[in-house]
This record gives sequence, structure tokens and C-alpha cells, in this order.
Amino acid sequence: MSLRRTSSVRSRPTDWPGYGLAAAVVVLCTALSWVIFPYFELSDIIMVYLLGVVGVSAWTGRAPSLLASVLTVLAFDFFFVPPYFSFAVLDSQYIVTFSVMLIVALIISGLTVRIRGQAESASERERRTAALYALSRELAGTRGMKDLLDVSVRHLVDVFGGRIAVLLPDAGGRLEPRAASIAPFQLGPDDVAASQWAYERRQIAGRQMRFVPLLASRGIVGVLGMRPDEGHALDPPEQQRLFETFSNQIALAIERGLLAEEAQTAQVGIETERLRNVLLSSVSHDLRTPLASITGSASSLLESGDSLDARTRHELLQAIHEEADRLNRLVQDLLEMTRLESGAVTVRKEWHPVEELVGAALGRLGKRIGPRPVLTRIPADLPLVPLDGVLIEQVLINLIDNALKYTPETSPIEIAASADDGSVTVEVADRGPGLASGDERRVFDKLYRGQAEAGRGSGLGLAICRGIVEAHGGRIWAENRSQGGVTFRFTLPVKETPPSIPPTDG
Amino acid sequence: MVDNQGPLVVLIEDEPQIRRFLRAALGAQGYRLVESTTGEDGLAQAATRQPDLVIVDLGLPDLDGVEVIRKLREWATMPIIVLSARGQERDKITALDAGADDYVSKPFSVGELLARMRVALRHSASVREPDEPTFTVGDLKVDLAQRKVFVSGKEVHLTPIEYKLLTMLVRYAGKVLTHRQLLKEVWGPAYADQAHYLRVYMAQLRRKLEADPARPRYLLTEPGVGYRLASE
Repeated sequence: MSLRRTSSVRSRPTDWPGYGLAAAVVVLCTALSWVIFPYFELSDIIMVYLLGVVGVSAWTGRAPSLLASVLTVLAFDFFFVPPYFSFAVLDSQYIVTFSVMLIVALIISGLTVRIRGQAESASERERRTAALYALSRELAGTRGMKDLLDVSVRHLVDVFGGRIAVLLPDAGGRLEPRAASIAPFQLGPDDVAASQWAYERRQIAGRQMRFVPLLASRGIVGVLGMRPDEGHALDPPEQQRLFETFSNQIALAIERGLLAEEAQTAQVGIETERLRNVLLSSVSHDLRTPLASITGSASSLLESGDSLDARTRHELLQAIHEEADRLNRLVQDLLEMTRLESGAVTVRKEWHPVEELVGAALGRLGKRIGPRPVLTRIPADLPLVPLDGVLIEQVLINLIDNALKYTPETSPIEIAASADDGSVTVEVADRGPGLASGDERRVFDKLYRGQAEAGRGSGLGLAICRGIVEAHGGRIWAENRSQGGVTFRFTLPVKETPPSIPPTDG
Repeated sequence: MVDNQGPLVVLIEDEPQIRRFLRAALGAQGYRLVESTTGEDGLAQAATRQPDLVIVDLGLPDLDGVEVIRKLREWATMPIIVLSARGQERDKITALDAGADDYVSKPFSVGELLARMRVALRHSASVREPDEPTFTVGDLKVDLAQRKVFVSGKEVHLTPIEYKLLTMLVRYAGKVLTHRQLLKEVWGPAYADQAHYLRVYMAQLRRKLEADPARPRYLLTEPGVGYRLASE
């Protein structure tokens, strides 16, 4: 289908309904005039006819109005000018009447049609402006390339109909459909060539599907593909102009989106670099402290082990053991954080009871919990949760460990879980000093340590928790408790229905 | 203990530091140690010395540790204990499913390794002797002859599957069992991938046998790998 095809926006061929209306109005005026003829002057009858002509021109186009004007004069002559029922005229004075009547009818109809045309084009302009305004407003409020493209496609389909696709170049300059009104979007080989041509030459191309280059201030950003519906070509120039205006708006929005993406990548790069430096300097300090104490203790034992009493020797050995353990945890945290950040962690979700993970975490912390009271409130009917057991166990270990580090040795720790519609929430609460205001968020930042005196951790534990929970599509946050202490909560989504388990005696 | 009466252990480990401290620690406990630095040499040593137990590091320079286990298992039944790094749950499962008896994660304490070795040696001995009719750990007592389970002297009623699961754990008490191993044995090979069955039944067992099911004493979870019944 070519674009040079009949448009349906305003019909140019013979306007049969218009002519019909013109004839009908003249018949109606004649009937009315016939009724009032005995009581009124001829000039009044002329007024009735002129009213009819105004009506016809207000409702139809130029040609039917012309027809109505001529018919009016003929009908007037035929029915109301003596000799009646004949087109012959006795009094030459009537020739003047006819001419004036015809001229008046033509002028009125011409004016009416023109006014109507102007009104129509004004409302068309208004519609176009409104459509464009709607597009720009929504584009301005949209963030993210995918949403930008989806919004563009939706507006184009609303206004122009047909099939729409936006193609953007990949890193190698090859166009790829990134958004389309029909998914999945398939391009034929001809279309691929045409779109590439449109992109490289920056010209409109394509036969079946028309490809319009999207030109923005910095150059071409992509190509807009448009395939009109049957009989809905973009024929009238104003439609084409509107389409071009739309393309320009979209091109600018895409460029804005690309710039925002670039800026963000650059920002992330700077931020990553900064964090890496902070991490490196912080880590080298954290690594050196336990290493120094291990080296010191071990060399004391080597050099003067014989002269030390048994208790001192044991203390030094104990220090080596503890510091090595601390070093190990630090290295684990570092590795875990690096793995999370590089995206090397894959979440293998399986259905787990929360209770088992809490048990495993408490078991792993073992001796470090010591005599401290640990209260667990996990309902027996809590549903299974789809999660990666190893990772979520790590979250629990880090949260409990955090509570152990920041609270006195006899202070209780409470662990609870509850189910909501579509999610399960797990919380670890302590009765420690709580968080300073503003820290509720910052504690999850990398290397952020709450109180200076408790600088024993890597500063990564809670950041790892956040990384893992977010990789599960969940959320983690901290709140101070009204009677002192802090509660760490995380939710995990439960979207699917839990798997069925055969009955106990199955 | 007289030198040549202690159990003979072949240690396949390429890190000299690890070999050094194991030599000291195992020697002090009366084990006789044969050291190998490569998988091939380890396999040869195991074949000629016929040890009571083999310790294999999963990260060897020549052969994959799992490969060593597979080759050993072609002819040998002695217990195999794996040394692996934390976070390699998949490798541990592969090693266990290939025939390893247990694992310890580096860094490990000698106490941990010795406990695993004791359990492994006890099980290899019990293959030749009939099973004890009763199993006891802490307050938990399982009477295998009468098919009865007691907690603190009180009988606990288990469903057939719960009982089957518990007896499987009792038979290998102290040793880790992978999800697959338990599922295959208790539910059948068709259920080997239905780990959530196992988790649900384990939770039920804990509720019946443990004082606090959220802090289990007996039915221990090995995250990402399987379960272990405490034996001491």
C-alpha cells in the first residue's frame, strides 16, 4: 500500500448526501412558503429560501450550497412568480429580484462554508496541539528509556493508528526494535534494509512500512517505523506535518533519555571508583589490625615461648585464634560484597521454611551467642518462602551478628516472622542503644559503621544484607523500637502459590 | 597409642601449610599419615597403602577433587572426607553425591575435622557389625527394634515417613546427608529434586523432637547441602 492513496479525512468525491440535503431543504422551504404564501409578501418568502440556503451551507460543502442557491431561485420562480407553475417571467422586474436573490444566496453560502472551514481547521489545530501537548507532557514526566519509548508508541498509535515501532541503534550501529505497538515485533528483510537506509542517510525510506529518521540536536538517535492501517494513509499535509512534529518531539525525548543514561553511567563510574578507594583504604586498615595482632602474638611465642608461663602462652594462642577468625569473617564479607556488586551472585530460589534458616543461622553463630537469651517467634503455619537458602541464611547471620556486636552481652535478641498477603516479613530485634536518627537508612550503606566505639565489623554486613534481599526482590529496613533497641526487618515476596506437599501419611 | 596401630590416613592436599598443621594435629591424635600433593599420586598411595580414611582437598593442581573421589569409589569403600572452601555448596554436593562421606570448610578447626573423621571411621566399622538396636543422643532415643522414638523418656508418635526419615538420619548419625540422598532413600528416586518435601517433613520432625525447633540440637541443617543428625 502506498501512501499516495485516498484519504478519508475529508471526502473529495461527489457528495451525494450533501446534494440530497440541498434538494430536501429546497423542497421543505417551498412547502413552507406555499403555506404562508396567501398571507405574506413575496419578500418574506425570499427570506425563507435564504434561510434554507444558510442551513444547507452550514451543514454541507461548497457544491451542495451552490446547488441549493440555484434550486432556490428556480423554485421561487416556478411556484411563486406569475405565471405560476412555469419558469416564464412576465414582469422584467423579477429578473432583478432573481439575480439579487442568487447573488445573496451565493454570498451567504460562500461565507458560511468558509467560516465553517475555518472553525474546522481551528478545531483540527486545537486537536493537534492537544495531542502534541499530551505527548510532550507525558514524555517530560517519563524517566527511563523503555518507558519513554512505550509512551511514544502509545501516543503515535492513539493519534495516527496503524503499526508503530521505534528502532534504536545498538553499540555496533545496527538498528533494533526497542518498542512497538505489536509485540513481538518482526521486521521483514526489506524493512530491515529500509530502516538501516533511513538511519544511515537520514532520509525517509520504506514502502510497506515507512521509516522516519529521528533527528535530535546531536544527530540521529534512531528510526521511527510506521505502517498505516488500510485506508488510513498520512495523506493530508497537515497529518504528515503532525507526524513529523511528533517524531521531532520523540527524537528529543530519546536524546534526553540517552544523555541521562550516559550521565548516570558516568556518575556510577565515579561513585564506584570512589567507593573502591574508600573500601581499599578501609580494608587495608581492617586487615592490618588482626594481622598485626596475629604476627605479634605468634612471634612472642616463637621468641620467648619458653620463658612465658602457661596462662600467657594460652592467652597469646587465644588471641591468634580469635584474630584469625575475625580476619576470616572480614575476607568473607569482602568476597561476598564483591560477588554481589559484580553480579556474580545468582539467586537460586527454592521453597524454604523460615524456621529452618533461623535455626541454621543460630547454629552457625553458635559460641558467639553464648548465654544470651534468644527468643524466636515463628508461627508453625508460616508458609514456605521461595528464596536462596544459603544467601538468606547469610542475611540472618549478619543481622544477628550485628545485634551481638552492638548490644551488651546479656541483652536479649528477638527473631520473629510473619506472613502477609504476597510477602513474608522476618525481623531481628535487639534491646541495644538503637540507631541515631538518620542512621536508619545509612546503616545499609557500604562501610558505614554506627558508633565509633564498635568498629569491630567490616562495615559491610548490612550492605550485604541489602544486596541479597534486593536480589530477591525484597526490601530491608531498620526502625528504632519505642522501648529502646532497634528492629531490622526484611520482606521477601511470595508471588507463586507454595507447592503442595503430600499428606503426612503419604 | 603405639605408632603402627593408629588408623592410616592418606591426605591429598597441595598446600604445604595445611599439610604441616594436619601432620602435627593428626599425629598428636595417633593417626598415621601418608601425604600426597597431587591427585594422581594420592590415588596411587590409596591403592598401595589401603588406608582407613582418605582426606581430599577439592582444589588440586592436577585432578579435580571430585574426579579423585569418583576414581577412588570405583574400587574403595573407605571413608573419604573433603576439604573445601565456604561458598562452594555446589561442589560439596557434587563431592558428596560422588561418594565422599563428609566435608569440612576451610578455614576449619582441627576439632571439627577430628569429629568428622571419628564419625566416618565409626560408620565404616559399623558396616561390618550389626546396627545397634537403639540410638541415643542427648534426650533423644530411637529404638530401632521396636520402632519407637522417645524424647526425655516420653514416647513420640511419628508418621511412617517421619520415622523413615529419622531412621535414615540415625543410620548415618553425625554424617552429612545431601537432599538428594535423603529424598531418594525416603521418597524414592522420582522425588530426588523435591527438596521442599524434605524441608517440610524436617520441620515437622523438629517440632516433635526438638525443645525449640528454631534452635535445633539434633536435626541440624547444612545450608545448601543437606542435613546432619547430631551424634555427640
